[in-house]
Amino acid sequence: MNLKKKYNIIGICIILLCCVGFTAVIKPFVQEVTVLEKPKTSFVAGKEVVLDFRLSKKVTTRLFIHSSFGSTLLMSSTGRFILPTSISEKKGIISYTLFLGTKKLAKGEIIIEPNLKTPLQLESYVGPPSIIAGGKDYTMQVVIAKDGYDNPLPDSTAIWLKHQFLNIEKEETVLSKDMIGWQNRFSYDQSGRLLLSSQVNAKISKEFSVEVFPSLPEDFEINSIRKHNYADGNQIVELMTSVLKDQYGNIISDGTWVTYNVIDAKGALLKTQGSTVNGVAVAKILHPDHKDTWKIKAYVPGIAESNTITIAFEPVIEDYPIEFRMQNREIVVGPLSSFMNQLIPNGALVEVKIINENHQIETLTKSTFEGKAKFVLKKEFYPSGIYDIHIKALGVHKEFKQLPLE
Amino acid sequence: MTKWNKNFYRSLVITSFIGLMVLLLFGISQILSYLNTGADRSVMLRLALNKENTYLPKVIWKDTVNPGRLIEKQTMIDIEEDYLNAWYIRQVAYQTNKKEGVEDYYTTNASERIAKILKTNRSKAITIHGTTTDHNISLDFYSADGQLAVITDQNVKEYQQIYKDDNLILETEEQSDYQVMLLLEDGYWRIRHLVKEKSSVPQKSKTTNKFAKVVRYKIYIDGKEFRIKGINYYPQKSPWDMFGEQFDPDTVSKDFDIIKKAGLNTVRIFVQYSDFGKTRVDAKKMKKLKQVLDLAKLKELKVVVTLFDFYGDYSVLDWTATHRHAEQIVSAFKEHEAILAWDIKNEPDLDFENRNKENVVAWLKEMINQVRKYDPNHLVTIGWASALAAPILDEEVDFVSFHYYLPLQDFNDTFSELSIMIDKPIVLQEFGLPSSRGFWNPFGATEKKQAKFHQEFQKIINKDQIHFLSWTLYDFEKVPSSVVGSLPWRKHKQKHFGFIDKNGKKKEAFKFINKE
Repeated sequence: MNLKKKYNIIGICIILLCCVGFTAVIKPFVQEVTVLEKPKTSFVAGKEVVLDFRLSKKVTTRLFIHSSFGSTLLMSSTGRFILPTSISEKKGIISYTLFLGTKKLAKGEIIIEPNLKTPLQLESYVGPPSIIAGGKDYTMQVVIAKDGYDNPLPDSTAIWLKHQFLNIEKEETVLSKDMIGWQNRFSYDQSGRLLLSSQVNAKISKEFSVEVFPSLPEDFEINSIRKHNYADGNQIVELMTSVLKDQYGNIISDGTWVTYNVIDAKGALLKTQGSTVNGVAVAKILHPDHKDTWKIKAYVPGIAESNTITIAFEPVIEDYPIEFRMQNREIVVGPLSSFMNQLIPNGALVEVKIINENHQIETLTKSTFEGKAKFVLKKEFYPSGIYDIHIKALGVHKEFKQLPLE
Repeated sequence: MTKWNKNFYRSLVITSFIGLMVLLLFGISQILSYLNTGADRSVMLRLALNKENTYLPKVIWKDTVNPGRLIEKQTMIDIEEDYLNAWYIRQVAYQTNKKEGVEDYYTTNASERIAKILKTNRSKAITIHGTTTDHNISLDFYSADGQLAVITDQNVKEYQQIYKDDNLILETEEQSDYQVMLLLEDGYWRIRHLVKEKSSVPQKSKTTNKFAKVVRYKIYIDGKEFRIKGINYYPQKSPWDMFGEQFDPDTVSKDFDIIKKAGLNTVRIFVQYSDFGKTRVDAKKMKKLKQVLDLAKLKELKVVVTLFDFYGDYSVLDWTATHRHAEQIVSAFKEHEAILAWDIKNEPDLDFENRNKENVVAWLKEMINQVRKYDPNHLVTIGWASALAAPILDEEVDFVSFHYYLPLQDFNDTFSELSIMIDKPIVLQEFGLPSSRGFWNPFGATEKKQAKFHQEFQKIINKDQIHFLSWTLYDFEKVPSSVVGSLPWRKHKQKHFGFIDKNGKKKEAFKFINKE
């Protein structure tokens, strides 16, 4: 009996052990969780996004969320996940992976559409801000229509693009693509200010302005104005262009730089410049101090050029007296008198060349004061001997040969 | 006595005066330099991000045809650079949950969006370590004034590790298409709108097995079964520095002759990561590597090239740098017939403890993918240090390699256990015994014992026709500290694994280099 009891107890123990053993084995199978129902896949931005997974067993699961701007991880013991607004407000695909521990239970994606019920916003970019008249140059107007959560509206959203120029007012519709609606706005023939705006549904944008500058200048005419035609080295010649215009008749922009090239009788090149005001560029240049003929032509460098004009200058003086003093060591040139016999204005240039044995030693220059210029040849610099002296003033040349200096 | 005293006080006064002056001057200079902080020009300017060596995902411009305006080469470079910087700075932000620098590469609205998600993650103690490996950019629109661009970036492969309270809990791979609008603001191309448009399943790169293939447990070359009978090789004079200053093709050629004559058919060599120039692979080293491979081809030896030797970062943000390294080496030799396999990394399981097993395994997995992408022709393996680690990633490699330095009598069991677990060829990639009896190791093996060891080992190997590569051809005179540390008894051991001693004399073990 006792023995039987013993066997019974051992038997019960074995059965118990087996039970415990089997449950240990069976447990993982019980833990197996399957997703019975996946959540719906389309949502609108800004609305609460709830992802409901119906699981075969109540367990704590994790949901990995991968969205446009970043990822996060949510945890739930019910299979219901609420996406943070930082993610559910932005349009695009959100992929999710449901994890139990490190095991993937489900993978899927939802789409968040822009919310058309929120007040729309317009984002506009216009550039370049200045263009050239004539219909070749253009500015580009780019408009992004967005919902209240800063999401670009879907492709093929109708966007009205409007513009005003002088007495023209036009509007056109474009369909958005790749987030944007855009158009190239080509210039008209006239210069002026182009105003741009846009509209999507009832939302209107602010005003953008683009400056339409005149196109490149055409060739032009020049003329000269002077007080007299004497080569006195004192008066000023004024050079002036005709009104510079582009091919459509727009006066070209102020400040366009015009260069005047002057070629004198010897072929030397003189230059003067001016910039345009109201299409006219004025430049000035001093009269020559000797008889000369100038050929003048103006350029807008690389773009346009003028006709060539010729102006001649008459000499103001035929001859002038020269006085040698102090054993030829002091030379007084003048008085220099001008076309009405008046004394030449102060500052006329006198040049004296000193030559010894066919060898030029020095060129002295002085400007006249009250019609005269005085040169002193000091003994320290010019030792006694025979010199040639050449004198030039106002285009008149005089030579004195074999002058002895004591 | 008084005089001595007087002098003593005098010198004390003078030295303390000098000391005081030094302290005073030091103090003044410290104050001045403190007041100058921030006025430094290099600090005032927002200089380019120093990301040169870390974030280099593969970027391909698929097309630039767009209705807006023809894009200039320089603008493409600028957009690419700033766009990648935007990705990089965002990865860093999600890794640290701090938004520093984000506003440099995202407009105000966009960076606010990122800041909000960062705030959510911070409140939940979630950090995300991520990187992208591939970008395929096409230009949708470039505006006339050059201030606005819309691009589509397709098949962006993203790998992310999600940490909660600094514990890695998940890793994910995503592949997505994005449409991005960028604006040029104060010299930066900043992201204005970013919309994920599509997500797809990442595709793995495939091997075409042009030069060698694996069927079940066997390796085939040119249709013939190939049993690896090989040796790990470093030149005697330059162990662990094969492609350095001492590189000499003649030495390599002679050594290859010895190896070939000994009846072996394979050598395993090592390419060091930083030695080869990291992200900018050194052309000189490449030339030397090519010489070695050409010599191997000439001598009819196959080569297992071990990459990333001495590399040990594995951090997610460093991935792309290593990808560029691998790309340059692997794609250059994808047609080279001498190569049998790329060994991704030598003994990566030794880094499990310090570098986190998940990090190392994830890096290896992606690296296999990368290597196959740039060289689909050759086999791929990983040189595990222990048989325990060998089953890791066995699905990904073409054959499994492991090293065995444990007692000889346990090898049979270890190997048969492995063969049950793994359905691929298993290569015993390193084994050996140092004949290291000497001052530093009085109980070490003698040359005789070493010979006996190899004889025994060959018996086991030959019985099951196991692929093997022994360690190593030569005894070395010098072992760098980076290999086994600087302890002399450790170095000593490492110096005596060779079949040929440091005087060039074949040791007894040489008889058993290939046969029992």
